[in-house]
Amino acid sequence: MVAEEGPLSGVRVLDLAGPPGAYCGKLLADLGADVIKVEPPGGDAARRIPPFFHDDPHPEKSLYFFAFNTSKRSITLDITKADGRALFRRLAAKADVIIETFPPGYMDGLGLGYEALKVENPGLIYCSITGFGLWGPRAHWQASDLIAVAMSGMMYLAGFPEDPPNRPYGDQAYYCASIQSCTGILIALLHRDRTGEGQLVEVSMQEALSMNQETAMQFWDMRKELRTRTGEGRKLPTGEWFRVPGLGTYQCADGYVYLMVGIPGFGAPLATLIDWMAEEGMAEGLASPEWKEVFSQLDLRLIAQLLQGTDVSMATQWVPKFQYVDPIIERFIRTKTKNVLYEEGQRRGLLIAPVNTPKDVVENPQLNARSFFQEIEHPHLGTTIRYPGPPYRLGLTPARIWRRPPLIGEHNLQIYRDELGLSSEQVGALAAAGVI
Amino acid sequence: MAEDRLPLKGIRVADFTWFGAGPIFTQILAHYGAQVIRVESQTRLDGLRIAMPMPKDKPPTVNMSGYFNNFNANKLSVTINMGTEKGRELALRLIAKSDIVAENYTPGTLEKWGLGYERILQVKPDIIMVREPMQGLTGPHRDFAGFGAVITPLSGLSYLSGFPHRPPVGLGTNYTDYVVNPGHAVIATLAALRHRNRTGKGQLIEVAQLESSVNVVSVAILDYTANGRVQERQGNRLPYACPHGAYRCQGEDRWVAIAIFNDQQWEGFCRAVGEEWTQEERFATFLGRKAHEDELDRLIESWTSQREAGEVMELLQAHGVPAGVVQSAADVLDCDPHLKARGYYRYLDHPEAGRTAYDGSGFRLHSTPGGPTAPAPLLGQHTEYVCKEVLGLTDDEIADLMAEGVLQ
Repeated sequence: MVAEEGPLSGVRVLDLAGPPGAYCGKLLADLGADVIKVEPPGGDAARRIPPFFHDDPHPEKSLYFFAFNTSKRSITLDITKADGRALFRRLAAKADVIIETFPPGYMDGLGLGYEALKVENPGLIYCSITGFGLWGPRAHWQASDLIAVAMSGMMYLAGFPEDPPNRPYGDQAYYCASIQSCTGILIALLHRDRTGEGQLVEVSMQEALSMNQETAMQFWDMRKELRTRTGEGRKLPTGEWFRVPGLGTYQCADGYVYLMVGIPGFGAPLATLIDWMAEEGMAEGLASPEWKEVFSQLDLRLIAQLLQGTDVSMATQWVPKFQYVDPIIERFIRTKTKNVLYEEGQRRGLLIAPVNTPKDVVENPQLNARSFFQEIEHPHLGTTIRYPGPPYRLGLTPARIWRRPPLIGEHNLQIYRDELGLSSEQVGALAAAGVI
Repeated sequence: MAEDRLPLKGIRVADFTWFGAGPIFTQILAHYGAQVIRVESQTRLDGLRIAMPMPKDKPPTVNMSGYFNNFNANKLSVTINMGTEKGRELALRLIAKSDIVAENYTPGTLEKWGLGYERILQVKPDIIMVREPMQGLTGPHRDFAGFGAVITPLSGLSYLSGFPHRPPVGLGTNYTDYVVNPGHAVIATLAALRHRNRTGKGQLIEVAQLESSVNVVSVAILDYTANGRVQERQGNRLPYACPHGAYRCQGEDRWVAIAIFNDQQWEGFCRAVGEEWTQEERFATFLGRKAHEDELDRLIESWTSQREAGEVMELLQAHGVPAGVVQSAADVLDCDPHLKARGYYRYLDHPEAGRTAYDGSGFRLHSTPGGPTAPAPLLGQHTEYVCKEVLGLTDDEIADLMAEGVLQ
């Protein structure tokens, strides 16, 4: 039987995080934790980040904010004011987890750092997310998503050699830092459950992203070879460009597809694609026994060596063949749509994937058959919005979007009066003083 | 830090994962004290064991891939031939002694071995079973084959990343394999572990890699579902920052990233650069800078291209401007003084690969620090140990199973 609460029910989180940590709070909240977004009066800065609902730049309409703040409650609180600090200490005394993304030392300066708060709440788990961590020679440097992906080593690998390296779409530094933070918090929570001892969880965006270098770090460490961005294909030391046929992004009738065809052990071989082309009269001679013999020589080691591009004699033997074959494949791919290539390719065991647009993703038959998207009501907007569902499915204690993202200070009265025990007059006075 | 104080000490994981997203997920558990036992076989080798890079000066073996080793530190390896009845029995016995069982095979593989969830529940009623299929255990594309490389285009990430005049080639890596998907899997597992500790109940967790990955393009999804807008590639630009990009510097393929979000940072930038064009009226406001972004980018690059990337970064940071070198692997591993001071990369001695670098933990727990402390296991290195210490087999039984080819 499926429980009606998430696995983290009963965990209380104070979320002071800006964009780098907002997704961490969302992960905890969608897993059932009681996550209270602590916003400065006027609202979290992320509420001013586009895109906006119907392009109306209103702080209650930022889709960017919506994406990272489902299932949370919201209070406003000015922690730079004395009354605000006092209130925050009261909240922190009852919290299990705090997440913040201020520069190192900022919360300590307000008397609200981990060392100060743990005196009253030794079980507290305090998570700091910054560009470069809390200590070290560059701890105080400025960072954003772009700076973090650049400094991590992952950006160096993305894009075309003749262009600047590419930033991955969508604040991936913030997603990765949040995912790492959430992992650290949960391990700390298990430790606390066992020992009663809380602790500081420290996340550097630069470190949180490092694994995304794939093998670049090890190639340098073990072989002193530098992986670089290669765009669509590879360049020989002679400057000649080539692509191993079947490996890469191809234009099709209605967009692009990604082909991963011909790597032994990864789906059907290149010959299967050629057979398909031949069935439709588009193999242009590639279905001959001579060409099949050529394709059969393309084993893993050979492809790896060609892609490394260091063996010039091997390359001069193979590249002219590739340059003959690849345009024939291109011509075939161009006659078919993304979905035909995907569905029929898969039927034949070929690893072909559509390069999906956001619209394609929303219309994806697999995601919809599994009811992945969740319709969330936004009464203030007079509509519902479809959100991506949680990244995982827990059989017993579900993760889900439990409620829409909160309005600014929506839960002030509920939390300050009903849960913290302030009187209505006190809450009113704090509002008048600009504290909440 | 005594290892017996690590938070996941006492948790055992029967690890049937392979390739990227699965092993990295279980490695995080191993970093923090869980005993993670990779169930491998000679006949069904993890493809990463034979993947590059390997040391230059040694003949290749199945134990020295840097790709594999970086994802499997702190683990044990047993080799069981799952094609045999006895092998499958042994695997079930291991699961019965585990807290967590993890796998990312094509749906149906475990069932074929008689290790489906229902069967596992019979031997271990409070098991947490984590499955990481590509597309899910149900649905019309359930059986579609795939690897991380196809998840990037499927999720929308490829379409949205890169310059608009280029085809959407993706991020140069199988991006979601390394932090996004293993991270989501470990989060769900830890949450389930907490629930089990409190209630005694385990559960089945499914992390469909496509669903996990679509979460990291959520803003573009909402822009489509709420506004009907299909976002397009914008290169390195952001609608709410300017300048925002990577600029060529002196030397071969050297670049510095600069990200300016407000007037204060812009003023710092102008002071640092000190060129006349920074004072031009058309660049004085954000809207002005945005309207002349192409020209501004050209001027910035004319300035950066005469300087070293590191020098530009230091100068701009000294003026409070977010700036950073687009670092290569050589930079992060050998040159970055900050990563070095923090000891992020760890060097471990491996019997075949030698002394090599491993990624440290992606987060730091100050009271219970974890991370790679033992190199990745050789294939089958711990078969005897696990059979004896975990499964309680005698030396004779182990020898028989070896002779029969059940243990490899």
